[in-house]
Amino acid sequence: MSSPLNTPEMARRIARRNAAERRFRLVGLGAVVLSLLFLAVLLFIMLRNGLGGLDWSFLTSSDSTDASAAGVWGAAKGSFLTMVVTLLLSFPMGVLAAIYLEEFAPRAKWVDWIEVSINNLAAVPSIIFGLLGLAFFIGTLGMPRSSPLVGGLTLALMTMPVIVISGRNAIKAVPPSIRNAALAVGASPVQTVFHHVLPLALPGILTGTIIGMARALGETAPLLMIGMRAFVATPPRGITDPSSVLPMQIFLWSDEIDKGFVQNTSAAIIVLLVFLLAMNGIAIYFRNKFEVRW
Amino acid sequence: MILSIVLAAVLALGLVGWLAARARARLLYKGRDSMHSMPVYHAWHLALWVVVPALLVWGIWSAISPAMVDQAVLASPAAAGLSTDPLQRATTLSEARSIAADPTFIGFNPLSTTLAEPMRAAQTRFGLIGAALVAIAGLAGGGYAFTRVRAGFPARTQVERGIMLVLLGASLLAIFTTFGIVGSLVFEAGLFFRDVSPIAFLTGLHWSPANAVGSDLDANFGAVPLFWGTIYIGAIIAMLVAIPLGLMSAVYLTQYADARARKVLKPVLEILAGIPTVVYGYFAALSVAPFIRDLAASLGYQNPSTESALAAGLVMGVMIIPFVSSMADDAITAVPRAMADGSLAMGATKSETIKKVLLPAALPGIVAGVMLAISRAIGETMIVVMAAGATARLTADPLASMTTVTYQIVQLLTGDQEFNSPKTLSAFALGLVLFVVTLILNIIALRVVKRFREAYE
Repeated sequence: MSSPLNTPEMARRIARRNAAERRFRLVGLGAVVLSLLFLAVLLFIMLRNGLGGLDWSFLTSSDSTDASAAGVWGAAKGSFLTMVVTLLLSFPMGVLAAIYLEEFAPRAKWVDWIEVSINNLAAVPSIIFGLLGLAFFIGTLGMPRSSPLVGGLTLALMTMPVIVISGRNAIKAVPPSIRNAALAVGASPVQTVFHHVLPLALPGILTGTIIGMARALGETAPLLMIGMRAFVATPPRGITDPSSVLPMQIFLWSDEIDKGFVQNTSAAIIVLLVFLLAMNGIAIYFRNKFEVRW
Repeated sequence: MILSIVLAAVLALGLVGWLAARARARLLYKGRDSMHSMPVYHAWHLALWVVVPALLVWGIWSAISPAMVDQAVLASPAAAGLSTDPLQRATTLSEARSIAADPTFIGFNPLSTTLAEPMRAAQTRFGLIGAALVAIAGLAGGGYAFTRVRAGFPARTQVERGIMLVLLGASLLAIFTTFGIVGSLVFEAGLFFRDVSPIAFLTGLHWSPANAVGSDLDANFGAVPLFWGTIYIGAIIAMLVAIPLGLMSAVYLTQYADARARKVLKPVLEILAGIPTVVYGYFAALSVAPFIRDLAASLGYQNPSTESALAAGLVMGVMIIPFVSSMADDAITAVPRAMADGSLAMGATKSETIKKVLLPAALPGIVAGVMLAISRAIGETMIVVMAAGATARLTADPLASMTTVTYQIVQLLTGDQEFNSPKTLSAFALGLVLFVVTLILNIIALRVVKRFREAYE
């Protein structure tokens, strides 16, 4: 007696469904491979074009109209100064805001407004921050154009929401038992947070900060708005000197007609990507090394 | 320069106060429960009383002293020959200020050179007065706090109150930033809309700010071609790339890949999100755009341009893939396991379960992710600046050069800089539109995500 499941028609149906299953799986794998292939091609082309131009004089000289004499040192120094300003502002402000919102903020309407505002700022296009920097820091406050000071301030406003969001998640992950224990032996709420919760949340906060800084380091559009696109042949001496930054140098060189600048652009991209990969690597290392699973 | 000296001096004074207060408080310590607060809190209390008043005075002084310096210079005999026109006065004074700061600076007006000397003298004089005031404020604050170092004084409570104020201030910065963005955009856009009617701006079909002179402003500031270019590149072409690839990557990574492969593939995929947009822009301009042009030419397309909407949109789509993928990943993982298990138990294959159960259940989360991705794509600047072109046109031809809102903002603000021309101000009007649109997309998407999470928790 034959079961209804053993008919040839049923076998064909199952084969068809299995084939569909394999096809779907292959499409999924294809999507991943295609995305990674794009990444590989991009990196390959940059390496092929740029590795030849990457030598000591390229790393130590500044911008020049002559492609073979131009280098990234001035832009790298500008990037460094800008990042210092950004970090000094956004890190303390971001951490303090995260502590307040997570530990002390009362349940009130205006606190909701702060939260909505932070979540939105994290998603506002970066060029809008550039417009703010142009209108407020340069237009209203009269700060020097093209300077790492204004660039750093603008990027700090952009980076702060990222640090607040990651900081809040890190603080939230510290279990309540830690707080209760500290409060039980007589610590004040402020002592509890600063002596016990914050040190435990710090690795998570630092990871978020490094990722936010990496994003700021690669950012071009807002700095274009505040005029950091001038040709600067001498490295900036301080945070108020006119200066360029690495991504801006890439952008400026990409516009040059001289063939030699194609190599320079790709070499500068390699330098920038090495910095970014290093920062992300440090962030991942931090996360793996210090993250505590409660 | 002056900033760093004053800051260092104030901080040094604060440190001295900190040490003094701690030493004094330690002398008061007579064993357990003899004091309300630990010595270190007395130290912080005093340091705050030194630093905060000193910095306040310094801030006020640096806001009002330039005007006093100018007054003093104008009163000096060297300023007798100065024009009475206020605008010229201001220019000459600012030139004199530059010469005072840097003797190699050359002013247009010879008078500014003679004014530089009184200017420098006045700056030094008022600088010294300011420094003295700052010192007095710091010492007065410190002295007051020093008298309060007593066993019963609740220094800790006071310091903690100060800390709470600082925390509150840091949180309010986010609100100030939002207000700052809205305020500056609305203000500058308001100046623009005095010259150009908002209706003409939002509905006009012709965009050429370069020709906008005289009275026909309305006719040249029609932004619809820009909106169309933005939507076409960011919300259509880029999403045609990013949604299928991102979604299928997420499905593969969450449903098919084993834990080891997932652990490697996911971070590698996320590298795509970490590459700076200027690198994508360069890649689009250097490799993708010429490739597409040659492909179009070989397919018999007449005179394809190097800058095309397709090249910019494709590369932008690739940039967005990890974003869509991780949003879809979250949405799929949030679907309760029981739903997928139920479907599998009924005999459905894995792909049938994904298509008929998981994806429909995760749809709200995925849609929200796509909205966030669109908001990111239309605000993206560098890729379109480097690959999309400058011509504002209304066409559905993906191989045509097309311009976007962000491209025009860059174009309008990095050319010649007359700050108050309608050309420059129109950039702020475009920025306002961009801000409002992305804000609406973000708010809706964040709300959908929140509700979606609650539904399954």
